Amino acid sequence: MVRRHKRENSDTLLTRMTLTTPRYVGIDLGTTNSAAAVFDGEQVTAVRNAQGASLTPSVVRIDGRGNITVGARARRYLERDAKNTRGEFKRLMGTSQDLAFASADITRKPEELSAEVLKSLRKDIEDQFGFAPQRAVISVPALFELPQNAATSEAARLAGFEQVELLQEPIASALAAGWSAEESAGSWLVYDLGGGTFDASLLETRDGLLRVIGHDGDNFLGGRDFDWAIVDWLLAQIKQQTEVELSRSKPEHTAAITRLKQLAEEAKIELSRNESTEIAIIELPVPGGDPLDLEVSLDREMLETLCLALVDRTLDVCTRLCKTHGLDPGGLHHVVLVGGPSVMPIVRRRVQQVLQVAPTEGLDPMTLVARGAAIYAATAGLDARPESRPEPVPESQRVWLQHPAMSSDLTPHVVGKLVDSEPDKAPGEIRVLRSDGLWESPWTEVDEEGAFVLSVTLIPRRPNIFRIEGRRGPEQKVAIEPPTFTIVQGLTISDPPLSRTVGVALANNRVRVYFERGAPLPVRRTFNLRTVETVPAGSEECILKIPIVQGEFDDAHLCRLVGSLELRGEKLKQHLPAGAEVEVTIELDRGGRMSARALVPSLDQVFEQVAHLLVPEATPEVLAANLEATQQRVIELRAEAFQAKIISAIGRLNSIESRLASLETDVAAAAGGDTDAAQKARRAFLELDAEIEQIELDKRWPELEEEARETVIWASATIADFGLPHEAKLLTDTAKAIEQAKNNRDALELQRQLRLLARLGSTASLRHPHAWHHRFERAASKADQATDLVAAQALVKEGKVAINKDDVPALRRITQKLWQLLPDDPEDRKLGHNSGVR
Amino acid sequence: MQQQQTDPLADNPFFVLGLAPDCSRQEIEREGQKLLGLLELGLSRAATYQTPLGPRERTPELVRGAMAELRDPKRRVVHELWADVAQATSVAHERAEQAQASPGEAPAWTDVWQLFDWRAP
Ligand SMILES: Nc1ncnc2c1ncn2[C@@H]1O[C@H](COP(=O)(O)OP(=O)(O)OP(=O)(O)O)[C@@H](O)[C@H]1O
Ligand SMILES: [Mg+2]
Repeated sequence: MVRRHKRENSDTLLTRMTLTTPRYVGIDLGTTNSAAAVFDGEQVTAVRNAQGASLTPSVVRIDGRGNITVGARARRYLERDAKNTRGEFKRLMGTSQDLAFASADITRKPEELSAEVLKSLRKDIEDQFGFAPQRAVISVPALFELPQNAATSEAARLAGFEQVELLQEPIASALAAGWSAEESAGSWLVYDLGGGTFDASLLETRDGLLRVIGHDGDNFLGGRDFDWAIVDWLLAQIKQQTEVELSRSKPEHTAAITRLKQLAEEAKIELSRNESTEIAIIELPVPGGDPLDLEVSLDREMLETLCLALVDRTLDVCTRLCKTHGLDPGGLHHVVLVGGPSVMPIVRRRVQQVLQVAPTEGLDPMTLVARGAAIYAATAGLDARPESRPEPVPESQRVWLQHPAMSSDLTPHVVGKLVDSEPDKAPGEIRVLRSDGLWESPWTEVDEEGAFVLSVTLIPRRPNIFRIEGRRGPEQKVAIEPPTFTIVQGLTISDPPLSRTVGVALANNRVRVYFERGAPLPVRRTFNLRTVETVPAGSEECILKIPIVQGEFDDAHLCRLVGSLELRGEKLKQHLPAGAEVEVTIELDRGGRMSARALVPSLDQVFEQVAHLLVPEATPEVLAANLEATQQRVIELRAEAFQAKIISAIGRLNSIESRLASLETDVAAAAGGDTDAAQKARRAFLELDAEIEQIELDKRWPELEEEARETVIWASATIADFGLPHEAKLLTDTAKAIEQAKNNRDALELQRQLRLLARLGSTASLRHPHAWHHRFERAASKADQATDLVAAQALVKEGKVAINKDDVPALRRITQKLWQLLPDDPEDRKLGHNSGVR
Repeated sequence: MQQQQTDPLADNPFFVLGLAPDCSRQEIEREGQKLLGLLELGLSRAATYQTPLGPRERTPELVRGAMAELRDPKRRVVHELWADVAQATSVAHERAEQAQASPGEAPAWTDVWQLFDWRAP
């Protein structure tokens, strides 16, 4: 300990002197283990903790006096002192679950415990590198939902980070692998098998650009499932040898099962190195009986028999992912293995057999994610060093600079603008000089907006520091603030794509799509919506909801509610009449964090309070009911599928059924008091629901095909008559896409293209000389249902006058006003998450 | 229906980035980065871009979207075609606009249909 301290001090001294360039920090906040890495633009270094290890178990212990221990020292108590020690809280992120620490008599939220792990890693970085990082990139599972992302950001804030960005774990792995690869062109598969989740990602690198092609995964498959497979086997062995029957679903057996699981995990890890192992079960507590002592031997072959089906499930996911993106398994260039269980020989063997590529050697599967996160921090320009700006030189000119923090391009542009410049002191010309003295730009003129654009030349694969100089005329130098900037030459990473379509649910149960799946993040968009009912000012009960949903469906009720903006009567300055305009803006950052805002122009009021949704709690009763309903649904769908001979649906139903079987175990465990199993089950149900929806959509296929046929005919005719040339071209394009979606039997894509086509057709149809006439007639026929009868009748009268005068613009205005007065079907509104807008 | 949609023709990624359809990948990254920087600084020279349908407002979202589209080789091919067609037919378009103004005279579509190997309905 003492010796180590000495070394740290000299390290610290050394790093202080060399910290002239940025440092980038990446953190893998894992379910089981966490790790951190620091990138200096050239080298990525895994951070070592006080024990000298690069992995810190994500375990927190709080003793009776409130002392907090994190990592390996806490992990030792996980089983011995379960009441005061917690692990695997990552799975509870985004829930309102409080975790109790009995002796200290306190509870902590999952994000507070994650914050303890982050604090510990932050301290390790400070010890090893001499600075407490202020900014970092934290990796999150690709399938994390918005509330879980929000909880992760909160944990970082609690741990004292000023700013963090979130990054999907598979992108991090690929980035790290791509950075260290000699020759990196080609397609990559990242295979990340962790403690509880499996992620597969397909990426491509070309000309220094790393691009994510697609993701797939299984949220409920990981090392723990191997452990449970061993536990079940052990239970059978115990029964055979002692006739004692223990069960995972009995609360009174929890202590024994926990003990067995720990032994199973140790045996599993042991068998990654050795051919066989002895499991010594000592004093296993048995309710109402004597503690058990026995020894069981397990060899690798048996372990592989127990795990083969689980391993092959991961490979099915990989094959499916490749197929979806038109890649034969033989077409992969690299496979990168990540996560603890990927060390198991059977995993490596099956990967090689099925994917026909040998896993890339020389990458540490345990720290790869953290390394990649650190590299990403560089691409995002997230310098971790505390702000220690030297006093600016007096009389210096401030500039605002824009340039990539990391770039694959050897000659990127640097754009700048003078800030608060005084005409008689501002520089007229700017140039930059690379710190090695071997390159400088020509003097470049500052334009009338105070801006300049320069092209700089980079040395490959390292941080390039540039000094900026300014001058007024050839003699008069002007100091520039900041005096230097850094660009790392390396990879360019394309913006992360949005994983699911985001939109606002409308009162007619449709969705106003804001961002389509695959849109590059960050994104921001505003739409004008209208309220469907009056909200009286001051009313406490009256709340107008603007539900934000995620999903690929046209119908709002099929999409998942992820947040809700609320216009509360009590906060309104004045009454808000039905039909009032509301400008709703939704914004997502690079890590998928969402913010939303509603502006009511007539009141000049902004509402920013998004009711964030927590991941719902999963009570055993709800789960059991869910299980039964899902099982029932599968039986019905199967019968229908057989009747209609929909082979693809039958295949899918089979896979759903096998997952339902394993879900049963979790639901049983939840009933036995295992909250973690309950969360796992809840998420499994969400996924199964989505899959069942997909099958339902498939069932609608013939209907959809018919709709496609009709829409194409209608749109073609309309556009032929009234369309503009570019609309005609779009029509052909869309028709082709529709044809392709039909050939691929891709219901979601077909639905999406039909949406486009309908929009195209309706735009063109508006040029029909009588278009507004027809629309007006239709709206007028429903005027008796209007929310404001008097206003509606007045409009109908005005409309008739406009028709007589053949005043189309007026007729159009009138019809649109009339539409706003027509109500939505209350049933639809309820389905549309009670939306108050359209 | 969704009104404020982007227009796939005017929003052709090549127009948004102001690049020719035969530009290299590096040029896309370089120009995209530069435009994002200029927009972030609110500089007028990046504020609009030219299309056959006239000038359009350029936003960071459009630029990022354009970069993402052109990074994907399969999608880039489609946009290359569109950019060419757009240039070639921009004259025809003006004529069509005039035709619209004088009723009864429908624009001729046949060329466009043929271009896509598509029979007019
Ligand atoms: N040598 C080994 N052989 C087999 N399994 C191992 C080995 N080392 C660790 N594991 C298993 O790896 C799992 C933890 O993996 P890892 O640390 O990658 O997960 P994590 O990143 O914390 O989880 P997640 O990615 O799901 O958040 C545990 O189930 C553990 O038993
Ligand atoms: Mg992991």
